[in-house]
Amino acid sequence: MKRLILGAAAAALCGSAAWAEGELTLQLKWVTQAQFAGYYVALDKGFYEEEGLDVTILPGGPDIAPTQVLAGGGADVIVEWMPAALAAREKGLPLVNIAQPFKRSGMMLTCLKESGITDPKTDFAGKTLGVWFSGNEYPFLSWMNHLGLSTEGGAEGVTVLKQGFNVDPLLQKQAACISTMTYNEYGQVLDAGLTPEDLVTFKYEDQGVATLEDGLYVLESTLEDPAMVDSLVQFVRASMKGWDYAAQNPEEAAEIVLDNDETGAQTMDHQLRMVQEIAKLTEGSTGALDEADYQRTVDTLLSGGSDPVISAAPEGAFSHVVTERAVE
Amino acid sequence: MLTAAPILIVWLGAWGLNTWLARFDTRLTRLLVALIFGATILILWEMIVRIYDVPSVILPAPSQIGASFVENRAILWTDFVQTILRGALTGWIIGALAAIATAIAIDRSPFLRRGLLPIGNFVAALPIVGIAPILVMWFGFDWQSKAAVVVVMVFFPILVNMVAGLAATDPMQRDLMRTWAAPYWQSLWKLRMPAAMPFLFNGLKITTTLALIGAIVAEFFGSPTKGMGFRISTAVGRLDLPLVWAEILAAAIAGSLFYGLVALIEKKVTFWHPSQRA
Repeated sequence: MKRLILGAAAAALCGSAAWAEGELTLQLKWVTQAQFAGYYVALDKGFYEEEGLDVTILPGGPDIAPTQVLAGGGADVIVEWMPAALAAREKGLPLVNIAQPFKRSGMMLTCLKESGITDPKTDFAGKTLGVWFSGNEYPFLSWMNHLGLSTEGGAEGVTVLKQGFNVDPLLQKQAACISTMTYNEYGQVLDAGLTPEDLVTFKYEDQGVATLEDGLYVLESTLEDPAMVDSLVQFVRASMKGWDYAAQNPEEAAEIVLDNDETGAQTMDHQLRMVQEIAKLTEGSTGALDEADYQRTVDTLLSGGSDPVISAAPEGAFSHVVTERAVE
Repeated sequence: MLTAAPILIVWLGAWGLNTWLARFDTRLTRLLVALIFGATILILWEMIVRIYDVPSVILPAPSQIGASFVENRAILWTDFVQTILRGALTGWIIGALAAIATAIAIDRSPFLRRGLLPIGNFVAALPIVGIAPILVMWFGFDWQSKAAVVVVMVFFPILVNMVAGLAATDPMQRDLMRTWAAPYWQSLWKLRMPAAMPFLFNGLKITTTLALIGAIVAEFFGSPTKGMGFRISTAVGRLDLPLVWAEILAAAIAGSLFYGLVALIEKKVTFWHPSQRA
């Protein structure tokens, strides 16, 4: 028993996945799908191998918080949205952004036209909105803060539903609007038989409250290890190569994603559409984080009402160490 | 190894103390032994987390959990009302009444016994993760759908116990009632219901914990922004692990109280049963 306790404590102490030269574990934010096409392409096309890396990609899921996996030592690098990463950083988990393949946000609220919503400023009050949690609620909460709406319900505020991993609340009219990604759930709503004419969409980008999505994050301690930094440089370089390849060869990229999907839940049409939508978000990104985008994200999260997502501007939440060497 | 010394000293010391106390078999020492054991577990937990600097994301210290419990009293109370009182308790009461009524119907008619029990068996075998999303679709996101999940979960164990309970009288006793010309309802009420009580309460006790689990897990599949299941699943995403543990603590306390209350009522109702003679 004593040995067991000590062993558990020692394992917790290590704080990073068992690591051999050139081995990296990547924890995705969601299930295997074209949202992560760049990484799967880099794996399948041997871009990681060319760099001398042995990369393991772990799919996520509805109740997997990548930040927690990283903290628990289950992965070396995670794909995470910046709001969740900054919130975790404030909670005492020293996450650092090392690269930002996604230049734009794909998040939007999709509303039924019949709900009579035409302008977020005036029409959201008293409505029920579907929101994802597990760290994805932050962009929504800061948007509501901007609009000055309480998320506690009532006639003056909005009623929030914890949305599952499907679009049913909108189809069943349990909510006036639901959270959707341009590249995924919006397509699911259309597949369910609704037409774009039945819907009103509000992109976070257009509302001026967009926050950076899918970036690559590591723990601060990881960057103190030169060998690990070398591996990360190789990883980011190969991943960006994968992203470029996916944007140029959407069909092949969708095929590769399907091959890697062990659940067999994804379809070609859906994944092809996703690759094409994702390409719009990665377009123009070298992988290096644009500090203006970072600042906009931080300002969005800091501003607003009683319950800001982060209470102070973060220090050292990103590092160009990796991308300076990875992006030539 | 040196860092482990204080942990070992506390552990072995408490062990020694308990071994020594166990020699005096009085009421006080029996209570003390249990208390010291519980306290030691908490102290060791706290020491291990602090000495080895375990991140709170992996395992918060008991002191952090306690602080979070006190600090978030209002949240915990809201969640308790939403999940336990509205979801679990409502569902448990509806499920229990439905099961008792069904058991009597089954007892009255062999036709129903042959038809209903297999269906009950079938419903009991449905996995909660399969029915929860469907019931959330049918009954909406609020507590009604959680109560519906609980009804489905508790119905069958109570039904089976109640059917067995109604069959628990001797033919001799039933013949005696008939000799006195007691009609069905009278003999049910005077003889067979009381005889069935130990069985019924067995079912009720088992299902208290099932009701709690059902209500909490059902909240993972869509919920308003309150409730224990909602908080547990979302606080993890926010890395607020002390709050997750505080919710778990609240659920454990609520579950123990719920069970204890049913056990207490059972003691009052089945005072005549051999198992209750201390």
